[in-house]
Amino acid sequence: MSSLCLNRLQEERRQWRKNHPFGFYARPQRGADGIDLRQWSCGIPGKEKTLWEGGLFKLEMAFPEEYPTKPPKCKFVPPLFHPNVYPSGTVCLSILNEDEGWKPAITIKQILLGIQDLLDDPNPESPAQAEAYNLFKKDRAAYEKRIRALVKENQAT
Amino acid sequence: MAHTGTGRDKFARRSLGGLHRSIKQSKCLMVGAGGIGCELLKNLVLTGFGEIHIVDLDTIDLSNLNRQFLFGKQHIKKPKALVAKETASKFNPNAKLIAHHANIKEPNFSVEWFRSFTIVFNALDNLDARRHVNKMCLAADVPLIESGTTGFNGQVQVISRAVTECYDCTTKPVPKSFPVCTIRSTPSQPIHCIVWAKSYLFNELFGASEDEAPEFDHSEDTENAQEIKNLRQEAQELKRIRETLGRPEFAQNVFEKVFNKDIIRLLEMKDMWRNRKPPTPLSFEFLFSDLQTSLNPAQGDQKIWTLGENFSVFCDSLDRLSRRIQDLKAAGGDSLLSFDKDDEDTLDFVAASANLRSHIFGIECQSKFDIKQMAGNIIPAIATTNAITAGLCVMQAFKVLRQQISDARMVFLSMSGDRGLTTEPLRTPNPSCQVCSVARLDFECDTRKTRLGEFINEVLKDIFEYGSSISILHEKLIYDEEYDDNLDVSLESLGIAEGSFLTVMDESDDDQSRRVNLIVQIKNRPQANSDQAFVKPVRFEIPVKQAQPPSLDSLVLSGKDTGGNNGSHSNSDIEQSRKRKAEDSLDSNQEPNKKVKAAEDIIIIDDGYIEID
Repeated sequence: MSSLCLNRLQEERRQWRKNHPFGFYARPQRGADGIDLRQWSCGIPGKEKTLWEGGLFKLEMAFPEEYPTKPPKCKFVPPLFHPNVYPSGTVCLSILNEDEGWKPAITIKQILLGIQDLLDDPNPESPAQAEAYNLFKKDRAAYEKRIRALVKENQAT
Repeated sequence: MAHTGTGRDKFARRSLGGLHRSIKQSKCLMVGAGGIGCELLKNLVLTGFGEIHIVDLDTIDLSNLNRQFLFGKQHIKKPKALVAKETASKFNPNAKLIAHHANIKEPNFSVEWFRSFTIVFNALDNLDARRHVNKMCLAADVPLIESGTTGFNGQVQVISRAVTECYDCTTKPVPKSFPVCTIRSTPSQPIHCIVWAKSYLFNELFGASEDEAPEFDHSEDTENAQEIKNLRQEAQELKRIRETLGRPEFAQNVFEKVFNKDIIRLLEMKDMWRNRKPPTPLSFEFLFSDLQTSLNPAQGDQKIWTLGENFSVFCDSLDRLSRRIQDLKAAGGDSLLSFDKDDEDTLDFVAASANLRSHIFGIECQSKFDIKQMAGNIIPAIATTNAITAGLCVMQAFKVLRQQISDARMVFLSMSGDRGLTTEPLRTPNPSCQVCSVARLDFECDTRKTRLGEFINEVLKDIFEYGSSISILHEKLIYDEEYDDNLDVSLESLGIAEGSFLTVMDESDDDQSRRVNLIVQIKNRPQANSDQAFVKPVRFEIPVKQAQPPSLDSLVLSGKDTGGNNGSHSNSDIEQSRKRKAEDSLDSNQEPNKKVKAAEDIIIIDDGYIEID
């Protein structure tokens, strides 16, 4: 196993413990014989003063062996109704794309804040699911209704 | 030494002088018996190396034979290590050759085993194994000659613990993977269409589900596998079309779905095409009415097919594959096919489908020959490059065996530029390298009786005076300040065994005095001493980190990835990935600006005497 990957992830864990944005959580998965630093469970709160306020959305991050050269894969569990989230739950965001905005210096904190921004500010130029995209484009009222229902189902406690 | 110098090593003895004896007495390890390995083994044997161990897990394939000259047709499917040994031993019956048909990562190739060698040669083709051997050679403190080739480029690097930089001191480019959005919706390069044809369309129509086809091109697709699987569930239409396989309308159904309907659907997402060239759907009827006599694929390998030719090959290969599926079904067997670059039917289908998709998206079409290379992840391998590189490995090994490591150089072979060979001085270890800039501790214990808490308190805290802010990594994180579940658990229950490495990270807040990582190598000694579960190590000073710890906000970005290859990099990649200055070089007399020098290994042949250097 690449020690660069694990060393960096442990450093991420240390930094997150020291300081992380309010309402978020991010922790590597505990197993019987240790903590798997390459699998993190995270929670992203909806931003204040947006449709998403009050919701908390669960996301899993999987770090490849080549991390931080390659970005982690971020997946909402269960899949989220959102124009830039694939039907599988995977987030389509430029900073998570090796060919576009990913840089090894991007921290877990920055990724989670980036995804939080994406919630209320979808990018219509890279739609990932037809349902949310079509509603977002064609019937904004219905789209917003769906989001409000979603927030209700995923209340931050 | 015989004064006459007769016999098979006469010339080696004359040219190498005193070095000949140390070569003869050395015991070396060669990891990998492929392209470089065959050439290198021949060199080692003929140079007079006394004992050579060969490790390779692979078997011989037809496609190896043009350059891996120790193998012949009769050896296909036999283990490379064993056949290489058989063939090369005839070159010099005095050499002791030992072959291991095995994976170098197996635990029986322990640090102790590595330590028994004078020198190790890497002749590998992948990053993972290279990293592993690098790590083991550092742990065993055995010099390593690392080499790699891609096409006309080759390179050789000498690695010696605490003296030179190690393989992981610089960032290595990793093979690219493609985001699923690019493959499914917005291709912009021929490779995107090829991956689509090979990993998506082919699988949908003829293939197994992703988990049943593990051989499917990991390097490109593992990232996307789940995605493709999910998208597949959406693509129920294609499944229904698959059911029409064998019927006359099958080709038209497939064509209209993927090259017409799906494209029209993509076009509906208008925002997607605001800054991109929108795709143009193709019409089956139109192409069909225009259909010419089918193309003879044998003639058309290296030329780029026209749209009509692609259409014709698409229909024809679809037909051939359908018949094979039906034959398989009729035989009552497994009616699935998988892509194989050497299977003409599957390659024709992928080539034609990829080109049709390229046409739709306004991407340049490719010849079948080029598509075969890209779809099969074929890295061009050139026998001459391997031969030259293997020669350079031995030249550098001479310097190591002469104890003149400061004379060793990083050597690059390339076709571009004024010189074929260029060299650089070796660099000193990167102080922030997490693989080699570490402290090391051998820890002898009975892993069943030693509990993690004892190791932390009685060894790390009492002997090495660590504070409470530490973390310990094995394959997983097994301890840190906020995770103390395992204190009463034995090392064995944590999966720690003979040869395991633990990494102890100092996490104290004071950045000034934070220590480098401590690598603890476990030596299992069951019941070595009935009173004590472990041998108390002797205290030594663990150095503090020289450079600032890699603060996450200020990490230097690695150079733009240039795509996957065999592990060798062109000179420009190397320049790019090297952020450190030339003053770091081992040879401090070297002018810092004169980074690239001509090869200094000059061979003069004079009256039968050969001088090196």
